[in-house]
Amino acid sequence: MKSVKKFFALCLSLLMVFTLTACSQESGGGSSDDPSQKTVKIGVLVSDTTSAEALAFKAYYEKYIQSVYNVEFMYSDELKDASAEQSAIDNFIANNCQAIISFASADRPAQIEKCESEGIYYAVATGTLTDEQYEKYKGYAHYVGAIGPDLAAEYQAGYDMAKHFLDQGYTKFGMFTGASVYYTEMHIYRAAGMLAAMCEAGKGTYEGAEGMAIVGKIMGEGGNVNPGKIGSVEVNGVVAGYDFDDAWYGKLTAVANDPNVEVLLAVGSGQVAFAGFKPEGKMLGDIDCYTADSVGLMEKGTLNYLAGKFSASIGPVFAATLSAVYGKPVRDNDGNALALSQGYWVADNAEDAKKYYEVDSSTTEPAYTKEMLDTLIGASYDDFAKFVAAYSFEEIQK
Amino acid sequence: MKKELREKLLSAAPLAGMILLGILFLVFALIKDINIPYSMKNILNQSIITMVVATGAVYIYTLGAFDISLGASMCVSALVGAMAYNRTGSVAVMLGVCVGCAVLISLTSSLLASVFNLPVFVTTIAMLSLLNALVLVLIKANGTGDVIQIPAEAVSKLNTVGFKLLVFLLFFGLCVLTFNFMKLGRQEKFVGGNPLCAQLSGLNAKKLSVIGFVMAGLGVGLGAFLTITYAPTLSRNTAGSIGMDVIISIVFGGMPVSGGARSRIYSAAIGALSMTLLSQIMLMLNLNSGIGQMVKAAIFILVVFVSMLNNRKTILPR
Amino acid sequence: MEMLEIRNMHKSFGPTIALNDVSFSAQSGEVLGLIGENGSGKSTATSIYAGMQTCSSGEMFFKGEPWHPVSMNDALKRGVGMIVQENGTVPGISAAENIFLGETQEYVSGLFVNRKKMNRDAQAALDAIGAGHIRAEMMTGMLDFQDRKLLEIARVMAKDPEVLVVDETTTALSQKGRDIIYGIMNTMRKEGKTVIFISHDLDEIMEKCDRLTVLRDGKIIRTFEHEEFEEGAIKAAMIGRELQGSYYRDDYDGEVSSEVVLAAEHLNHTDQLSDFSFELHAGEILGIGGLSHCGMHTLGKVLFGNEKAESGSFTVHGRQIRNEAEAMKEGIGYVAKDRDTESLCLEASIKDNIAIAGLDKIAVHNAFILPSRENSYVDAQIKNLRIKCNDRNQYVSTLSGGNKQKAAFGKWTGRDSSILILDCPTRGVDIGVKQAMYQLMYRMKQEGKSIILISEEMTELIGMSDRLLVMKDGKLQKELFRSRQLSEADVIEYMI
Repeated sequence: MKSVKKFFALCLSLLMVFTLTACSQESGGGSSDDPSQKTVKIGVLVSDTTSAEALAFKAYYEKYIQSVYNVEFMYSDELKDASAEQSAIDNFIANNCQAIISFASADRPAQIEKCESEGIYYAVATGTLTDEQYEKYKGYAHYVGAIGPDLAAEYQAGYDMAKHFLDQGYTKFGMFTGASVYYTEMHIYRAAGMLAAMCEAGKGTYEGAEGMAIVGKIMGEGGNVNPGKIGSVEVNGVVAGYDFDDAWYGKLTAVANDPNVEVLLAVGSGQVAFAGFKPEGKMLGDIDCYTADSVGLMEKGTLNYLAGKFSASIGPVFAATLSAVYGKPVRDNDGNALALSQGYWVADNAEDAKKYYEVDSSTTEPAYTKEMLDTLIGASYDDFAKFVAAYSFEEIQK
Repeated sequence: MKKELREKLLSAAPLAGMILLGILFLVFALIKDINIPYSMKNILNQSIITMVVATGAVYIYTLGAFDISLGASMCVSALVGAMAYNRTGSVAVMLGVCVGCAVLISLTSSLLASVFNLPVFVTTIAMLSLLNALVLVLIKANGTGDVIQIPAEAVSKLNTVGFKLLVFLLFFGLCVLTFNFMKLGRQEKFVGGNPLCAQLSGLNAKKLSVIGFVMAGLGVGLGAFLTITYAPTLSRNTAGSIGMDVIISIVFGGMPVSGGARSRIYSAAIGALSMTLLSQIMLMLNLNSGIGQMVKAAIFILVVFVSMLNNRKTILPR
Repeated sequence: MEMLEIRNMHKSFGPTIALNDVSFSAQSGEVLGLIGENGSGKSTATSIYAGMQTCSSGEMFFKGEPWHPVSMNDALKRGVGMIVQENGTVPGISAAENIFLGETQEYVSGLFVNRKKMNRDAQAALDAIGAGHIRAEMMTGMLDFQDRKLLEIARVMAKDPEVLVVDETTTALSQKGRDIIYGIMNTMRKEGKTVIFISHDLDEIMEKCDRLTVLRDGKIIRTFEHEEFEEGAIKAAMIGRELQGSYYRDDYDGEVSSEVVLAAEHLNHTDQLSDFSFELHAGEILGIGGLSHCGMHTLGKVLFGNEKAESGSFTVHGRQIRNEAEAMKEGIGYVAKDRDTESLCLEASIKDNIAIAGLDKIAVHNAFILPSRENSYVDAQIKNLRIKCNDRNQYVSTLSGGNKQKAAFGKWTGRDSSILILDCPTRGVDIGVKQAMYQLMYRMKQEGKSIILISEEMTELIGMSDRLLVMKDGKLQKELFRSRQLSEADVIEYMI
């Protein structure tokens, strides 16, 4: 009988653990009849739970927004495919979430369709819809819209970064194209922007293409960028993917140490990919976010250019979502959902990086504070557009 | 009498555990103001694919074998099924191709093991590499970007709990019949329990292994089909977690890790439902996935420990 | 001097009382025999004394001091060793590592184990017991059952114990192995040490022991002094009644049908079978005897289709047999020598074990199993063979040795096999079960069925066989026919 007793003891202890956890986790949600006083549950779909950017975004929502607004964020697990996204949405609906903010894009149309059919608000926080998709969903009653760097902004971020080094006279590059091989559009557009800048400076083409046409070229190659000459500019090594195996690290080391590479450009995670391998004196540019590590690297001169998303950049999309939940969805004059682009904070020296990081990492006075976001609750489309367009550090500080 | 009672109680423990989790779920659902009808539907929705695949996989685990390539097999089957739909526009063809492809993969694993006299686990490792490569090739050759899609409208009518439940019940019925009321189940359990004795009792372990893998393949094929109906956009990550979900479900359902005579066909269904209930409870408590994984791991070890404790005690020294 | 004493020992496993107020003692320079039916408590009492498990209540003493070993290793280090009935070696390591299991740290120098020294010491331990033919560096899995047993003996004797428990070990050994154990027992007796000797072989135990304690149902029934040794009285004490009827069959005509049911011609198989030919007739009990390695066990497996003869052929009812399934189709049943690993699935129930060989008989349309049909099939065997159990769903692992063997028989009697190959069918079972099995074999013979009885027990072969084939080095050495005059000496002459 001992094992039976043990089993039931186990069941009872589990019951106790859950009960205690439940009690300790009870949210302080109000039970008032006023809808604005009732805690709003918002589900957050994430496909990345470990990168510095993802952690910074999460910290902004959970440590700042949740403490100043009567909202509760419910995060999904790391979503790897469309099926997992559907399950996560089902979970949010079952838990009475009133809205979903999405950082996952395995099957965005399916997410929008599901939320529309279930009557739950849906907003895109990273990436944007394609033009065709926007045309299809802009009138959906529960589609809040998208605020964040659109693909043109991604292209521009890559272009600006490459141009920064080209203007300094560098002509030999190595590239890390991250998730381009997984067809992550954001990374493809950033890489295309870099190549476009090289085409202009080197007076050549990337495999016969230049400008935006390079995007199609990369897509056609399975998301791969091929090394080679672009006029007088050289791309002498390219690494892609996130395999984290010996072969991957070997390639990174080889490119970082190639004497024919003067500048290393990364579409993201450059600090992880190149920083640990590159010799001193070699330039490194990255598109990522502001962290203590990136500031440290800039101070040491290991990182020389950083276009970073600031964590509070996801504040406006939250404000738009909350507005919708409060019955005031933001629509343009034709009744279309939000589609606003936002750029990056760019630092090419340690001082700027430090300045940005201090504001960005604050959980009491972040870049977008409650006071600023409150002006957006119930605001018009144009007010939103103006607010989002003034995204630079200086404008926000004003 | 006490011993008999203990045996009965312990064999009913997985079911009792599931009921307990169900009660806990309802209690928290009431406390936390949860949409209970939707949750019920959601639990079924999320369990059913694992229930189908794991029920089929019981045939493999009963033999004391292990198939590491279940997830990859399901991914390939779903991709090939979707390609078939895109060529023919027929859902029936897609179903047939999904099942056929999964059975073919299972057959290949088990026949290779049989021909080369290898433990079947070894051939499934080889199949895993092969299938993962095949996934990339299929997507590159037939996909849009890094996915293969079929129009959502094509399967939206089948994406209902009722339909999924029907598929599960039909397959489960077939498995219960063959496992509990036909020679196949008895023979598989005996081979898993003592292969040498099984051979000396006239059983052909290789043949039984092939049949067991075919049954598992059927489950994988149906699982692939249901995955498409749930999310018609397929990528290399499709069914990525199913292999682990199957193992955890089977163990949670009270089946011995080493298979054999105490294997139960309903273990998979009970285990998969229990796992989903547990996940839903943790979600309600807003425990992040890290803590959730740790809780699952702790319970997994406890379940194995309790089941081994039971086995040890029932062996009476002379 | 009193070497060991057990006082008022109780032990229960759940509802089963294994030992009920057991008390006995043994002197230095004595070989004490323990005898009793399967499940009588002999192994339980001695295994508690040797540190394998603990008792529910009671006291133990070693050389007058209270005795509380925490493990078998602890007991062995302090002077009490036990050679168990089951296989007690680990297959995946070397013989030397088995001998010094749990003591490897004593051979560690720096970061490495000094294998050379360990092998040297292990070889010395093997040589000391007369098992020098086993090389210390060999992998244990490559050794046969007897050599693995000798390895265990070497492991225990390397510690020079003052009390040695030998638990039903000799039944698994050939004469050579037995002689090694007898030699050790004699030496220990001479050196003033103590041996507890457990065996089902009454002749052996009467010959080797100074005193004999009989257990039944977990209780001490009686202790016989050497001068009181008398077979009938000991048997009666063991089973609690006088044995009814004959132990073996009592006819000596050896009459069999002329119909040949199995014919083997020029079988060859490695060094185990060499140009071996014979015929089996309907209604015949054909005994096959010889030393353990003479090839007779391999012959059983070949005839059941489990091992393939390299050349030669054999037919059953005129048909060739290629595998076990075909053998079963032709009505052959096979009870293997190694009951726990080859004949039964221990973690399965009695029902599962008995039904597995007869599924084709039970199944409707050779596919569907109806529970009622299956249950009555199994219940009939439990009843016919008088298997002592709570019900058909009891796990076989919880049965005593004799009842396990009955369950193994039930697999083949259930499907009404017309030819039974029995490899050492009475090994490790008590005389009550033995007698029941002999009666069953005789009944089957009378029903016209044929039995190939492979055995290392000469009395059994002589007592039961219509005809006896003596094997040596894989060859047929002699064919002997049933007769009142046939003696063990006649058989031994051809075996060695």
